[in-house]
Amino acid sequence: MDPQAVSAASQAVVHTGFALFLDKLYYFIMVPLVYISVIVMIVGIVAKIVSIVRAPIPAFSLKTYPAKKRPFLAALGDTFGMPMIRKEKPLFWFFLMMFHIGIFFLFFGHLDLFPGVNLMPPESRHMIGAGAVGLSVTIPTFYFLFRRFKGQERHISVPSDYLLLLLLLFIFLLGDMISWGNSWTANGFVMTKADFKNYFGILKSFSFVDPRTVLHGSHYHFVVLHVFLAELFMMILPFTKIVHTFFSLPLNLLRRR
Amino acid sequence: MEAATQEALKKLFESKLNKAMRLYLDTCAHCGLCVEACHVYQAMPETKYTPVGRAEVVRKLFKRYFKMQGKIAPWLGEVIELDDKSVNMAYEAAFSCTGCRRCVTVCPFGIDTQQVMNIAKLLLIGAEKQPQILAMLSDMSIAKGETWKETANDYIAALNNLAPEVEALAPTPPGRPAIPIDVENANVLYVGLSGKHSIVPAAAILNAASENWTISHFEAVNFAAWLGDGEKQRLIAKRIIMEAERLKVKEVAVVECGTATRVLKFMTGSHPFRIVSIVELIARYIEQGRIKVKPGTISGTLTYHDPCQLGRNGGVMEEPRYIIGKLTDKFVELTPNKEANWCCGGGGGLISLGEHEFRMKTGKVKVDQMRASKADTICTACENCHTQLTELNEHYGLGMKVESLTNLVAHALTGFGA
Amino acid sequence: MSDYTVAKTLDCKGLACPMPIVRLSQEIAKIKVGEVIEMFTTDPGSLADVPSWAKSTGNAVLENKQESGVIHFFVKRQK
Repeated sequence: MDPQAVSAASQAVVHTGFALFLDKLYYFIMVPLVYISVIVMIVGIVAKIVSIVRAPIPAFSLKTYPAKKRPFLAALGDTFGMPMIRKEKPLFWFFLMMFHIGIFFLFFGHLDLFPGVNLMPPESRHMIGAGAVGLSVTIPTFYFLFRRFKGQERHISVPSDYLLLLLLLFIFLLGDMISWGNSWTANGFVMTKADFKNYFGILKSFSFVDPRTVLHGSHYHFVVLHVFLAELFMMILPFTKIVHTFFSLPLNLLRRR
Repeated sequence: MEAATQEALKKLFESKLNKAMRLYLDTCAHCGLCVEACHVYQAMPETKYTPVGRAEVVRKLFKRYFKMQGKIAPWLGEVIELDDKSVNMAYEAAFSCTGCRRCVTVCPFGIDTQQVMNIAKLLLIGAEKQPQILAMLSDMSIAKGETWKETANDYIAALNNLAPEVEALAPTPPGRPAIPIDVENANVLYVGLSGKHSIVPAAAILNAASENWTISHFEAVNFAAWLGDGEKQRLIAKRIIMEAERLKVKEVAVVECGTATRVLKFMTGSHPFRIVSIVELIARYIEQGRIKVKPGTISGTLTYHDPCQLGRNGGVMEEPRYIIGKLTDKFVELTPNKEANWCCGGGGGLISLGEHEFRMKTGKVKVDQMRASKADTICTACENCHTQLTELNEHYGLGMKVESLTNLVAHALTGFGA
Repeated sequence: MSDYTVAKTLDCKGLACPMPIVRLSQEIAKIKVGEVIEMFTTDPGSLADVPSWAKSTGNAVLENKQESGVIHFFVKRQK
């Protein structure tokens, strides 16, 4: 089936009632909420950092010995290499490294979608990693989730631990559909990298144009859901344990100097 | 629990929220890496005996009273209320933790359970549920800061009675008492404990080194550090700091007591004098040739237990091994050791609190280490560890000798009058 | 000089830190207010510990004696 035909069909329908409400909701999610969630994330994390910076300094050193000659480098090593996990639980470490490196590429993969940024050749249908990046975050997330179903990991987990992982999993799986569809299937995902570049162009230009004008086809629902869950993630980031993104290094500095 | 008490406890909680605490309470990912690192969990695999399980008691209160999440969706983090039940949980968490900080070294963020437990301990003090023995001992130490002058003559007389025992180990330098006290401008102020076993061997070593030293009127141990009472901890340490200032000493040497050493060395700010463990001082004397020890005074193989507060938390790990190297060539390590060493189970004030059954259970992993070493003697450099190891040795019928490092050195002193 | 009767005797010779004081506090709770406990220790530090403990707990050290390395206390329960 010609994918263009599907898009054209969905475009042709006149929306009323609930469909009209969905259109409005989708627009809100796809444009204003993107800005709102980024602002919430930035304000939230700044407020959090300020609350910590303004708190009194511990009265004495909390380091452990043997003391490192270069405490800052040691803390960097702890933060990015997680040597203690590699030693205690090598499989967990493997997935953690895979996941965090994946997140790093994920960031650039999305950056690449902004018009003018061409980390991948613009004519390529692939996003960064050509689907592998999605795989490298999705598989570890399954592992992170399943390990919490047994043993002490189950007992020490609280609902937010599971919900966070489920949230990530949904975001990743939806993202995978988009990127795997484009890279690994003959027909692609209907919407191409070039289409998403147009959407990111709308966001970048603050033109508040309805993304529906550049993202055609019924698969739009999946894109909206992907964006919405990602927004949710950004908005809760400063208020959950994901603050370790920012606090892992300062924490490791506490025990190194 | 009354609302007023709850308010007061919230205030106490807030008073502890420094930079480190906020980071510790905000960041834990519940990864579970710390679970296996705790010797208590090793013996009793229950969630409440994991470092994260203990910290969660405090963290769930933190979420409830100091975080938006706990107010909007308390079920997300399974928050708990400040009530009699949570205070009891805080007790079980705080006083089943020896503060050994082994978990700090395996946590990917280095979250310090001992510090987090200090919040739990402060809440217990606020709720008047703190262990009475530690409170009583702390008050005794503080009272001694005022009464010591009245009892000084009796104490000095008792010290003088120890002279023959000191001189049996090493001669006293001419013109000085065997155990000098109140010596102004001394090089070393030695701070022991109440028992003569903490005084006689050290005195012999200091005399053998012809050191210009003086003994403290006070005991080094800081019960308030275990109690978790920061103000009392400061007052107890201050007695010694003021004595060192009064006598204008160059250095304070602390008896084999891990907590006392850590508190005095790292938690009292900076001073015109240095503060060291007696172990560091002995190593220096040997290195400088000021004392000589004869090898071969220890029969069989010897192993060494790193006291947590002295080793992992105080950085004194190579010095004891250097000293032991001079005493014997039949030294075997416990596995693991140094920063990864298992706590003996006697820390955190548990010895003072009694807790014999709990300590014997939780010392299991240490016992396994001792057995595996096949050593004839185990020595350590901490009074608490020494007591715990002695009791473990008896309880499990290990048939080992338990020694203090200072005592081993004192009994190997040689080469006088050279 | 000892015009009081001893209700309980406590031997703390050779005990490690801080057991003499812990034992004293436990045992004194078992005698009546006004009664006297005698305690033997070998800790030089107890000569300062016991009086400061008594002060902070509201009890009274009636007397102490030192004989050949053994320290002998008489403590009256007042509370």
